[in-house]
Amino acid sequence: MKELMRNVYLKDGTLVTKSKYGSHYGEKVFDGFREWIPWRSKLAAMILKGHRLKLKGDEKVLYLGAASGTTVSHLADIVDEGVIYAVEYAAKPFEKLLELARERDNIIPLLFDASKPWKYSGIVEKVDLIYQDIAQKNQIEILESNAEFFLEKGGEIVIMVKARSVDSTAEPEEVFESVLRKMGERFKIVNHGSLMPYHKDHIFVHAYKSE
Amino acid sequence: MKYNLWFGVYDGKEVKLSENFEESFLKAENPSPLPFNVSELGMQVLGESYYRILRKTALQVSEKQVERELKREDRYVVALVKALEEIDEAINMLNEKLEDIKAVKESDITESFESKIRELRELRKEVEREIEDVMKKIAPNMTELVGAKIAAKILERAGSMEKLVRLPASKVQVIGAEKSLYKAFARMRKGKKAKIPKHGIIFLHPFIRTLPKTKRGKMARFLAAKLAIAAKIDYFRGEVDENLYESIRRRYEELRRK
Ligand SMILES: C[S@@+](CC[C@H](N)C(=O)[O-])C[C@H]1O[C@@H](n2cnc3c(N)ncnc32)[C@H](O)[C@@H]1O
Repeated sequence: MKELMRNVYLKDGTLVTKSKYGSHYGEKVFDGFREWIPWRSKLAAMILKGHRLKLKGDEKVLYLGAASGTTVSHLADIVDEGVIYAVEYAAKPFEKLLELARERDNIIPLLFDASKPWKYSGIVEKVDLIYQDIAQKNQIEILESNAEFFLEKGGEIVIMVKARSVDSTAEPEEVFESVLRKMGERFKIVNHGSLMPYHKDHIFVHAYKSE
Repeated sequence: MKYNLWFGVYDGKEVKLSENFEESFLKAENPSPLPFNVSELGMQVLGESYYRILRKTALQVSEKQVERELKREDRYVVALVKALEEIDEAINMLNEKLEDIKAVKESDITESFESKIRELRELRKEVEREIEDVMKKIAPNMTELVGAKIAAKILERAGSMEKLVRLPASKVQVIGAEKSLYKAFARMRKGKKAKIPKHGIIFLHPFIRTLPKTKRGKMARFLAAKLAIAAKIDYFRGEVDENLYESIRRRYEELRRK
């Protein structure tokens, strides 16, 4: 068994997180590990494509677009001594996220619109990492305002970009270029890459806040 | 300076602890980033149990919010779509009157008409934007397949998400064509010729419109079937299934090439 990141392993070719909890979205559970399905979670896909995050386990994380908590559940395994502020604005998937938050004590569920960070500015603390997966046209602006409110200097950013959500008519390559350009104006980009074959026309971008 | 925090109000010196955390949680708004860290201040006041209390409050507030939201969001879209139609009618009516007046005489009053029409067009845009925002949130799969406008109109005709998910695909396919359907029947009753409409609102979709006439029926049927599935996923799970859009795009390419 190979350790890829804190609490993340490759076990007989399967990506898993070390976890004392049960299955959340139909993933397999075996003796203290939960299968992490890259087709379901873009963060899993990113890791399988060879990109790693340096996490110590006590980080404070702001997660934008938590949906029903598929990726949040694994991130909660990783930062098991930290806190995840999980923001999602659609009530339906949020119901399932609530189930997860009831069982884990390091998830704070927030039913808020991520494009209005001021609304939760008296709740969310300064964080070490912002993770964003919201599939919105203006996702970079949303990221910027959240980074301004909550991200520590030197804090890290991971975003997932779906080409069709940003611009449904342009070529994915063009969309990605413009997203990277925009992000580069405000943040230092560490790495980016495609999530093929797990997620078509998606990229991840890993960056940090320098000023 | 006054800072609204989930556990109370801070004036820069002292924290006035809230008597009801659920209430202050929902009022924890501030126009700009806090110049201090809310958790550090909170731990000075609430001590070790800071996160435990925060989490408990967030869970309690969320449970109530979720219930409320689930109940009212689709009704909100239905009301907005109805409003949009009324606004359109008002714009058309004013335009007609304006033309009538102009035909007789140029006067100052025509400018008042014009500015009213401009205002209504602004309002129209605003309502449209709101419909799009809410549809993306409550029906992400339908919106992905046919766009917010068409999806919202279908939802409006069905009446609610709950009713929409009970409709068979064949009904979804012709939804919105009721008016022309009744007209056709009325004509036939009078012994006149009439065409039975084959597609409803989904006919507006570019994947149907841009196909040759003979293939539109096939595409409409396929799209309606996927749309019925999309509505169910939206209603029961609320998460995007990427395969849905892929499948209609592939079907479209297929029909176009044949
Ligand atoms: C692709 S899904 C996220 C999947 C999730 N990150 C995972 O891997 O488990 C995108 C989510 O972002 C949410 N979203 C989109 N815009 C949002 C906004 N402005 N505020 C909060 N959530 C938003 C959507 O409702 C949807 O649930």
